[in-house]
Amino acid sequence: MDQEVKLAELKAKLKKVIKRSVYIYRVDCGGCNGCEIEIFAAISPVYDPERLGMKVVASPRHADVLLYTGPMTRAMRLPAIRAYQAAPDPKIVVAYGACGCSGGIFHDCYSVWGGADSIFPVDVYIPGCPPTPAATLYGLAMALDLLQQKIKGEQFAETEVTRVVPQYDGVCPELAKEIEQEARRLSGYLHGRRIAAQYLQFVREGDPLAVDRKIKELIKQEKDPRLAEVFLSLHKIYMEKMERVGHNAG
Amino acid sequence: MLKLLRKALKVGEATVEYPFKPVEVAPGFRGKPVYDFSRCIACGACATACPPNAITMDWDLERGVKSWNINYGRCIFCGRCDEVCPTGAIVLSAEFELAAARKEDLYCRAELKLCKCISCGAYFAPCRELEYVLASLRQAGLLEGGHEGWKQLLKVCPECRRRQAASATGALGRPGRMPGGRQ
Repeated sequence: MDQEVKLAELKAKLKKVIKRSVYIYRVDCGGCNGCEIEIFAAISPVYDPERLGMKVVASPRHADVLLYTGPMTRAMRLPAIRAYQAAPDPKIVVAYGACGCSGGIFHDCYSVWGGADSIFPVDVYIPGCPPTPAATLYGLAMALDLLQQKIKGEQFAETEVTRVVPQYDGVCPELAKEIEQEARRLSGYLHGRRIAAQYLQFVREGDPLAVDRKIKELIKQEKDPRLAEVFLSLHKIYMEKMERVGHNAG
Repeated sequence: MLKLLRKALKVGEATVEYPFKPVEVAPGFRGKPVYDFSRCIACGACATACPPNAITMDWDLERGVKSWNINYGRCIFCGRCDEVCPTGAIVLSAEFELAAARKEDLYCRAELKLCKCISCGAYFAPCRELEYVLASLRQAGLLEGGHEGWKQLLKVCPECRRRQAASATGALGRPGRMPGGRQ
């Protein structure tokens, strides 16, 4: 216990001392190399961490910060521990990437022990798959107490029963589903949702004839031919549906 | 030398001033999935879709809650949860500054109440999900006239519903005379 307190004191002192001269050693414990590529992107002139004194070194004996990437695999646990023991105390250990934090997508793999924290204490977790160069810089700056932590653990609980209304109020759910599916099929979930919402906004507003007129006007004015095509196919679904409904009613 | 200097002056500084100034992310960047508790119906679609099991759901039938849990430390930011969410309760944001000193800060938890079956009294489905189904039925025009029974039917757990349906079918025919069955 006494030793731990002493170590924490030393670590705080280290952070004060190495402010503009941080040597980083990187250990790949068995990841996919995505994190390494992103680390190399982070030490490129675009982000230039050397203006903050950060430097990637080749030996753990020179290092102040140990950067563990990849899930802790059975084969790499001993080399990882060796690197940890080789680095002079006090040192800062950073778990990098989703795999380094908790095993990531490989967490239930037969040879994976979990994240870097399954073997030794970790000071800072940098999630991401892989973390962007900016996220890397942020995480390292946080490890050195230059920046403050932003994320907070959250906890919600339901106190009373609240209602959740379906999206696209006033549109038949089946029609909304078909339109959204087609929009996503044609242009992916991100743009598909936006396009479907835009289309269903028209449907919500008026009767079929007015919708038909408005959509045709929109397609005529649309400069992007791809978008116009998507709107056209969505409109086809809508018109077919309306025809069927009209047929059934008549 | 002069040529090089002129070129360098013309191009200007390439380094971004990131830690001191905010950096702009690319359009369509997939950052932290932000959870909107008020829109979640605890259907579990995100937990089923999540490739690394960063999102998990658990039943607690004793306390009557279904808990939702995300571990940002395991999330691979693929956007599948955003894609499958029927209500838009989880949306990827442009937030990338997720580094944390404690692992507990990487978790987001939520607890949603379960509804009791009116027949056997056991918890069986989240209240919000049932309300959402009712609202969807109403919107589809299926709740008007002759469908009041659906509201009652929704509050019965699947097992009790099966039992009720079986006993209703049994009441129709004469008992003990199933073809091939024992007398």
